[in-house]
Amino acid sequence: MPGRIPRRVLLGATSLLAMPMAARAQSWPNGPIRIVVPFAPGGSTDLSARFLADGLTQRLGVSVIVENRPGAGATTGSQVVADAAPDGQTLVMSNIASHAISPTLYGNRVRYDPVRSFTHIAMVITNPSVWVVNKDSGINSLDDLVRMAKGKQGGLDMASSGAGSSNHLLIVRFCQQNGIDYTHVPFRGAGPAMQAVIAGQVPMMSDSLPSAAGHVRQGNVRAIAMSSAERHPSFPEVPTFKEQGFDLVSTSWFALSGPAGMPAPVVERLNRETREFVATPAAQTRFAELGGSAGDMTPQAFTDFVAAEVARWAPVVRASGATVN
Amino acid sequence: MELLLTNLGHGMSVALSFENLLFCFIGCLIGTAIGVLPGIGPVATISLLLPITFGQPATTAIIMLAGIYYGAQYGGSTTAILLNLPGEVSSVVTTLEGYKMARRGRAGAALTIAAVGSFFAGSVATIFVAASGPLLTSVALSFGPADYFSLMLLGLIISAVLAQGSVVKAIAMVVLGVSLGLVGTDVQTGQQRFTFGIPELSDGIGFVTIAMGMFGIAEIILNLERPESRSVLTTKVESLWLTREEAMRAIPSVLRGTALGSVLGILPGGGAALSAFGSYMMERRLSKYKHEFGTGAIEGVAGPESANNAASQTSFIPLLTLGIPGNAVMALMVGALIIQGIQPGPRMVEAQPDLFWGLIASMWVGNLMLLIINLPMIGMWVKLLQVPYKFMYPAILTFCAIGVYSINNNVFDVYQMLAFGIFGYLCSKLKMEPAPLLIGFVLGPMMEEHLRRAMLLSRGDVMVFFERPISATLLGIGFIALLTMLLPNIRKKKDSALAE
Repeated sequence: MPGRIPRRVLLGATSLLAMPMAARAQSWPNGPIRIVVPFAPGGSTDLSARFLADGLTQRLGVSVIVENRPGAGATTGSQVVADAAPDGQTLVMSNIASHAISPTLYGNRVRYDPVRSFTHIAMVITNPSVWVVNKDSGINSLDDLVRMAKGKQGGLDMASSGAGSSNHLLIVRFCQQNGIDYTHVPFRGAGPAMQAVIAGQVPMMSDSLPSAAGHVRQGNVRAIAMSSAERHPSFPEVPTFKEQGFDLVSTSWFALSGPAGMPAPVVERLNRETREFVATPAAQTRFAELGGSAGDMTPQAFTDFVAAEVARWAPVVRASGATVN
Repeated sequence: MELLLTNLGHGMSVALSFENLLFCFIGCLIGTAIGVLPGIGPVATISLLLPITFGQPATTAIIMLAGIYYGAQYGGSTTAILLNLPGEVSSVVTTLEGYKMARRGRAGAALTIAAVGSFFAGSVATIFVAASGPLLTSVALSFGPADYFSLMLLGLIISAVLAQGSVVKAIAMVVLGVSLGLVGTDVQTGQQRFTFGIPELSDGIGFVTIAMGMFGIAEIILNLERPESRSVLTTKVESLWLTREEAMRAIPSVLRGTALGSVLGILPGGGAALSAFGSYMMERRLSKYKHEFGTGAIEGVAGPESANNAASQTSFIPLLTLGIPGNAVMALMVGALIIQGIQPGPRMVEAQPDLFWGLIASMWVGNLMLLIINLPMIGMWVKLLQVPYKFMYPAILTFCAIGVYSINNNVFDVYQMLAFGIFGYLCSKLKMEPAPLLIGFVLGPMMEEHLRRAMLLSRGDVMVFFERPISATLLGIGFIALLTMLLPNIRKKKDSALAE
């Protein structure tokens, strides 16, 4: 029959079609790799991405470039990666904002699904939050904090780096759990908030350990509680929330993800290289200095982790009153 | 005093080591280059170079990054003067008289006084930082949200004097600028305001986008419209150096600008931006040549340029003594230091004397380098103006587009810039000036933020603005400024009424 194509040719054609994909996976990395940071330069996401990019450049033998695509609670940059080809050349520095909080906060303005639109590759760094108070505030423990909050009209002033930030949500959860009033005082970033606490304009703030670590070490402010499950090795004198009788554990995280459907060998290689790099003594020292811990998760474990985070934060986001829609 | 000299001497020995000198030079050179290229700012450059600093000693790294920062301040005035293209908030003021001077054929003089004034201000401010840095920390800390609000309000009031024509139109532009500043995510609630569902607007409109559009692009359209004016620059390039008269006029302005900038720079967030046009306002009030303002008065370049550079030096004070970054560039430097395992803060002076005093000494060395880099180049820059405009404007457009794109890596910003260009052209046809709009745009959101924070902390009690001494004083000055601004107008009206 004319026009009928022999099956063997058809099979050959489909395998030909599939070839570029397979070839690409084999020859990966194919040129420079781009890590999109969904925040402006200078923040902790940017810093950890640049640190990782530097390490991966040496390990993979291709240049790994950081590209900042800030905007809309880290969703703009994440969307770019969700839409990119899953060839392992475009990755995103996923984090608690872009993949756990913003999908609920921004609701239907976010087109991606934080779990299904991505291939989650490896956890890079996690760090707890620390609650710090002004030195002259008279607050020495979480119990003091609760007592003071109950005695003040509108509750205690509690500062964070911004409305809808993970630290804001931590405050919401704490006050919800303990039935206390609070006045959330959001700032444009952690720096100005810390300044307000040091100056005594606000008695306390919830801050990520990396940005607060130096101030705690230098005695500019007093740390009263750490949100990790165990005491932090770099700050053994600061008790956890749990030790003080408050059931609260929270860590912010910075990780490596790519578009959905990345080839398994590429994911495995990236996961291995990342985990090896963050486990090197040089990286460990830097992370300890920052108050962070190196991530160590398989791609599957990390994917499950992201799903759990989304579920965990969604009700808190709704309760915080910080809604975008 | 003796201790100060010993410390500075120690700092010099650090800053003058071969490696530090080299990287200081590299930083200044890169800074000048990116300052000259419109739109490409120090934030993008420093973050790009951050990985290089991982392998460097901390002192060398921070000396290089600081060089980029103040180098960019120097370079930014070049495009502001030559092409009416402000790349930074502070250069907006430089365009007012600087570009007018360039059009009169005094581009060389404007660039020279900008460089010399900046050098002088930088040197004085460096000593100021060294001598009283730790002491001044308490000043920065004593500024609460209510005080910041009153300072910003004062800034907005005095920005109306930037107007070269009608005060009413200037106030309208300030208000429009404040409204444009409202676009984006509300800091207090996280709500989106005036974004019309466009995700690119969720973080607000970029300063560079508006500045490039309203000044640069609009100027190009205007120039293309008037074929005769295009040759003005090329025919009248006079001596590059200051005349005796110009120098005598500039000296007091440089001194005043330096003093104002050194003080305002200490305040994190907005201090440096306020210093340049605060100085412009001061010059316009105090100069004997008031009538020349608006046509290229050298005082209007000398004062603000000095103020701006002094402020960029003293803005290191909150960073070095508190560990609190005053702006995005400072935040990057904190990042660079933290990666090196150094936390900037009160203990840094004792714990890292090499770094602290080395950086301060390198600021002076860097300022000297910038003077040496920039002075010989002035002749070259001025020659650039002789390039036929038909070659110049496509190049300017290209650089503007690249610069604006590179900030967020987003094409939408380029479209925004073009839209603001057309808007700027219309404004200029209506004799509405862009400078007050930009000041409103910068100060408005900060003012709102501090107003709402002050009200939140006082649980809605307005008295907080009048009870705090700093805030009350600033409000008082603002009130007087408003009166002195309105009185001449009222008097003028009376005079004209009497004449009739």
